[in-house]
Amino acid sequence: MAEAIQKKLQAELEKYQQLQKDVSKSMSARQKLEAQLTENNIVKEELGLLDTQNTVYKLIGPVLVKQDLDEAKATVSKRLEYINGEIQRYETLLKEMERKSEQHREVLSSLQQEYQRAQGQAVGKA
Amino acid sequence: MSSLHDQMAATGKVKRSKDMPQGVGRLKEEHRKVVKDCRSQIEHWKKVENDYESLQDRLRTLPDKLSYDIMVPFGPLAFMPGKLVHTNELTVLLGDNWFAKCSAKQADDLVEHRKKHVKNALDDLQKVMKNFQNKADFTDDLEKLTGDTGDFVDIREKVINEEDVTKGKQRLAHKPNSKPKQEYLLELEDDKEKKEDDEERKTGVLSEEELWARLDELEREEELQDERYRLDSTDTNGEDTTSSSEEEKEADGGSDVQVNGHQKENGWVQSSITSQMNGTNGSHPEDEEDCDEETGNGLPTIYFSHTAEFKKVRINTGKNTTLKFSQRTEQKAQAKRKKKSGKTNGHSPHESYKFTSPADIYRVFVDLVNGEPIPRKSILKSRSRENSVCSDTSESSTADFEERRAAFGRSWSHDDTTHSDTSDGITEEESPTGTSPRTNGRFEAFTGTVIEKDPLPCSIPHLTIAPPALPTIPERKLEEVGSETPQEAPKRISKFKATRLHQK
Repeated sequence: MAEAIQKKLQAELEKYQQLQKDVSKSMSARQKLEAQLTENNIVKEELGLLDTQNTVYKLIGPVLVKQDLDEAKATVSKRLEYINGEIQRYETLLKEMERKSEQHREVLSSLQQEYQRAQGQAVGKA
Repeated sequence: MSSLHDQMAATGKVKRSKDMPQGVGRLKEEHRKVVKDCRSQIEHWKKVENDYESLQDRLRTLPDKLSYDIMVPFGPLAFMPGKLVHTNELTVLLGDNWFAKCSAKQADDLVEHRKKHVKNALDDLQKVMKNFQNKADFTDDLEKLTGDTGDFVDIREKVINEEDVTKGKQRLAHKPNSKPKQEYLLELEDDKEKKEDDEERKTGVLSEEELWARLDELEREEELQDERYRLDSTDTNGEDTTSSSEEEKEADGGSDVQVNGHQKENGWVQSSITSQMNGTNGSHPEDEEDCDEETGNGLPTIYFSHTAEFKKVRINTGKNTTLKFSQRTEQKAQAKRKKKSGKTNGHSPHESYKFTSPADIYRVFVDLVNGEPIPRKSILKSRSRENSVCSDTSESSTADFEERRAAFGRSWSHDDTTHSDTSDGITEEESPTGTSPRTNGRFEAFTGTVIEKDPLPCSIPHLTIAPPALPTIPERKLEEVGSETPQEAPKRISKFKATRLHQK
C-alpha cells in the first residue's frame, strides 16, 4: 500500500517539476520580449528624430541594406505590435501553467499526507 | 524517498517553533539581496551614462577637423597609420539591427535622447533600493520589537476594580439623564397627576432649587475631597485662584474649549473632564502614570496602575507655574519633566480643580507676579523665554495671553456654546467619552475628545449664543478681552497669533 502511494507520489512530483520548468521557460521568453519591446520603442523614437536626408540601413546578416525612412518607421511599428501580441500570448500561457502547477501542488500534498499516514500505519504494524 | 518525507515532516514541525527568528532572518536576507542587486544595476547604469558623456564630447570635437591622423587597428595585433575622414558622417546603431547615417550633431541629439532613458532607469532603481532598504530596516526593528532586546517596552495596566477608577461618585449634573433632571421630570409627572396649575408651578420651582442644592452639595463634597488629598500630597505647588476654580465649578460646561491641539493639553482635557465628573479621579491617560518596570515574558513590560489617591503633581512648564492636579505619579512626571527644563513654583494649595474644559486648565496655570496671580501665556513652554528679549512678562503679555486664549476660544468656543445651548454643556457629552476609555481598562495614548469646528470669526455671535441664565465664563472672558484688546494694538503680537488672527 505504501509503495503504491510512493510510486504515485513520485510520478506526480515529476509532472510538477516538468510544469515548473515550462513556467520558467515561458517567463524567460517573456522577459526577452519585454527587452525587445523597450528597444524597439527607442528605435521608433530615434527614427522620429531623424529626417529623410539621413539614410537608414537594416542589418540583414552581414549586409547593411538601405531602407527608406518611412518604410523603416512602418516596419518598426509592425514589429512593436507583433511583440505586444507575443507578450499577451505568453501572459495567458503563463497563467494557465500557473493554475496547472497549483493543481499539481495540491495533489502532491494530499498524496504526501496519505503516504505519511500509510507510513505511520506500517510503523505501527511493524 | 520515505526518509526524505520523514525529514520534511520533522523539519516542518521543528520549523514551526523556531519560525519567527528564522522567518525574520530569511526576510532580511531577501531584502539585502534585492538591495545588492539594485546597487550593482545602479553601478552598471552609471557606467553607461559616463560612456555616453564621453561619447558626446567626442562627437562635439570630431567635426572640428576635416581629417585626423590616426593609428588604425589592423587585425588584432597591429596598427597602421591612417587618416580619419568624413568626420561629420556617422553611421549610428539605432537598436534592433537598424542603422542610420547622420551628422555629428544629429548623433549628439540621439545620444541625448538615450541618456534620458538611462536616467529614468537609474531613478527607478534608486527608488526600489530605497524601498527595500526601508523594508530591511523595518524587519530589523520588528525583530527587536518582538524579541527581548531593544528599547521597546510593553506597557500594561491591569484594572482590578472599576469602581476605583470612577471613584464611585459622579457628578450627576454633568451626566445626561442624571438625577436632578430625573427629579425634575418626576416632579412634573406628579404635577400632571395632580393637574393643578399652581401646584405645578410650585413643584417645578422646587425641583430646580433642589437641582441647584444638589449641585452645591456635590461641589462641596468634591472640595472636601480635594482638600483631603491636598493634605496628603507632598507637593503642594500650585498656586491658585480658588476663585477661578470655583468659577469652573459653577460654569456648567459653558466655558470655552480652548484646545490648543496639543496632545498633552488634550490629555489634560480628558483628565480634567473626568475629574470633574468623577470628582476625585486624578488619573491621566498614560502620559503620566506610575510605572513599575518589570520585565515581562517576551518583552519588558511596565505595569502601572491608577490609584484613587489624589495627589498634586507638579508640571514643570516653567517657573511660577503648576498644574494642580492630583496624581500619584508625580515622581515619574517630575522625572519626565526634569528633562524638559523648567522649574515650578510653590504656590498656595487651595484649589479644587474642576475642569470642564481645557480652558480651565489655563485658568489654573497662573503666575505669581508681584504677588498677584496672572494667567500664563502658554503652559507648555518653559519660563526661560519669558526673560528673553522677545517676550514681555508684563501685564501686556498676560493681556496678550488672554486675548490669545480668547482668540483660540473663539475659534473653538462655538462648539462649546452650541453645546451649552443644547445640553448641559460639553461636559455631559464628553463625560461619557471620558469615562468609557477609562472603564475599558485599556489606555491609549490620547483619549481626549477634541471637537474641531471651523473657526467663526466674530465674538458677537459668540455672545449672543451664550445662554443668559448662567454667568458663563466665556462671557466674562470676552469682557476681559474686550477691555484689553484696545491695549493690544501697540503691543507685540507673536507671528503665530498674528496668523491666527488673520485667519479669523
